[in-house]
Amino acid sequence: MTTKKKRSSNTQNDRWVAIAADSAVEASKVGDSGPVFVRLRNPATDAASLYLFGSGDSQLYEVKAFNEDCHSWFVGQTVQRDGRLLYFTPMDPLFLLLPYLMKAGKEGKFQPVQQVVMDEDYPACTRLLSCSQTQASLHHVAEEKEVGSQKFHRYSQEKTMEWLKKKVDKTVRALKTSNISVGGGVKSMTYIRAKQESDAREEDYLRYAHGLISDYISDDLSRELLKALGLPEISSPKELEPPSKKRKMSDRPVEAGEDYTKFNSADFARKPPKKMTAAQKSLAKVDKSGMKTMSAFFSPKVKTEKN
Amino acid sequence: MQRMSANGSVTSLQLGSVAGAEKPDVHLLPCEIEHDGPAEVTRYFTAALKDRKHEKSVSFRGRGLKGQEVSCPHGYTGLVLRENHKPTSDQEDRTVRVSSVFHRFTYWNLDTPPTSDDGVVMAMAWPEIAEAIHGLVDD
Repeated sequence: MTTKKKRSSNTQNDRWVAIAADSAVEASKVGDSGPVFVRLRNPATDAASLYLFGSGDSQLYEVKAFNEDCHSWFVGQTVQRDGRLLYFTPMDPLFLLLPYLMKAGKEGKFQPVQQVVMDEDYPACTRLLSCSQTQASLHHVAEEKEVGSQKFHRYSQEKTMEWLKKKVDKTVRALKTSNISVGGGVKSMTYIRAKQESDAREEDYLRYAHGLISDYISDDLSRELLKALGLPEISSPKELEPPSKKRKMSDRPVEAGEDYTKFNSADFARKPPKKMTAAQKSLAKVDKSGMKTMSAFFSPKVKTEKN
Repeated sequence: MQRMSANGSVTSLQLGSVAGAEKPDVHLLPCEIEHDGPAEVTRYFTAALKDRKHEKSVSFRGRGLKGQEVSCPHGYTGLVLRENHKPTSDQEDRTVRVSSVFHRFTYWNLDTPPTSDDGVVMAMAWPEIAEAIHGLVDD
């Protein structure tokens, strides 16, 4: 009953189970076309991903697949083999616009966004400009100039970093009020709760939030954001060395307690977000349906399927 | 446009009457069932279901399953989407429709009792986190 065979039928599905924001499925206004799924350039992977536009293109939704191995659904008196649970949640269109703005920004001049947001590989990208959130928030990532009735924009890295930092802050707050264990993908909730007061927490939250946001931005921006947050990069081999070695190299006296805790917290925080982000990215690339999978972040007991 | 990319096609979501749609019982099972289509769920599954205070249990194909009901997050609705006509090429526009609706479902673990650590339960927190990631930020 627990067959290990990989689902090959996924791409030929004709039925899906989803949880959708009510706003995505509210009856559309007269004249609006209904919601549509489109493929757009994923800013983190540069490959196609599936997104949903609410009626009238005023709201963008992300399509994510919550996926655990070996699951199937019963729906009424039917079996559905594909055990994925899809999520349609509101998404900030700026994440998808950013790559276009950044590219145009290299020319250094102010331009109308309509001129900038064009992509022959992803013609639906122009719909992003109809989203109400786009108009309300372009100034967070670009300088704005108004000439007559027309607006012109120029990408600003500085503004974008401020905007991303605010997003990280908000995400940290949300993580704190939720029950998600940010410390380690395999740690149990009780363990995390007991650890609540420890120093490691704040950085764990920051790194976790940074990992979540990094799913919507390029690797370069993700690295810049890490810097802006004051978090050291942790992928370099030097950092991965045990503290004893580092101490020898830096020629500092070996003190028992001090560095030990630091190492613990860094080690604790290091692996999960990094690993998950990478796993999530590769999954997003592999999944032919173009849906991003979220299992890595939300299933603490999920094993890394490496064997 | 010389080359028509597959990314140009769209899939319309036909809502029909979401409010009036069928509301079936929905179960998420801890095994892959190599079948798509009709099954006598009531007769062979639901009939054997025991519903004690905080825990549901059922014997399915000789294995003990323990289950728990979860509700869709606030402001969210469960949908079963269906595509009636499979496209013949990846450049064709497609249509999926809402075939049924649910507000809660039961997920089942193999042997282990359901806890708040379960992936499905954690997944119900996603809308809250997504709102923080994607909502408007203050100036």
